[in-house]
Amino acid sequence: MQEATFLILTALAGGSQHGYGIITDVKQISNGRVGLRAGTLYTALDRLRREKLIDADREEIVENRLRRYYRLTPAGAERLGEEAARLRSNAGVALSRLDAGGRVATT
Amino acid sequence: MTASTDLERRYRRLLALYPRAFRREHEQEMLSVLLAGAAEGQRRPRLAEAVDLLANAILMRVLVLTLIKPSAWEYRHARVMVPVRVMIGIWLIVLTAIFYGSGRGGWWGLLLLPAAGLHFYFAYRIRHAVPS
Repeated sequence: MQEATFLILTALAGGSQHGYGIITDVKQISNGRVGLRAGTLYTALDRLRREKLIDADREEIVENRLRRYYRLTPAGAERLGEEAARLRSNAGVALSRLDAGGRVATT
Repeated sequence: MTASTDLERRYRRLLALYPRAFRREHEQEMLSVLLAGAAEGQRRPRLAEAVDLLANAILMRVLVLTLIKPSAWEYRHARVMVPVRVMIGIWLIVLTAIFYGSGRGGWWGLLLLPAAGLHFYFAYRIRHAVPS
């Protein structure tokens, strides 16, 4: 799973959000490192929706502008959980080996 | 004209590059996101933003192309349509060879060979009843 996809799903794991909300949230989650642009975001949202990992939630009109909220589906939550566990496992191995080699202090 | 309508018009022009179905689904909300991310008094899309929209519009168009598939009717008439598709494909290759022999090959091949490929691809899908 690409990092952008992982971060979008993570943003939605906290509750439904609209497009701009996802962009600001992803920026925050990644400590300002990942700034999604509109084109990239909607290509990803469109694909995730086709894969049924997310779904459209509700729509609002704010100042004459459409806001569509997206939410994580149960299948999306499952995929994100699997991916997060995989990353944690990999990171754990990396850190413990570096630690054993005395090359980096992990605590 | 005010800055915001100027900017909106330019964003709309970029969004117009997307396939129709994608626009119907996402154009309005994308416009909201783009305008929400714009600075006060901004009149033009930022370059990186425009490039991102262009690249993703092309990506979505390529994706739409890969969704081209034989109709249900063709699947039902596979017995006739597989040979028909194969014959058309072969004929297009022969035609390319003829054009090539007469020294007008290059551009015609560029047009005809992908078309022949598409016919063979369709024949393959119908023959093996590859579900859509």
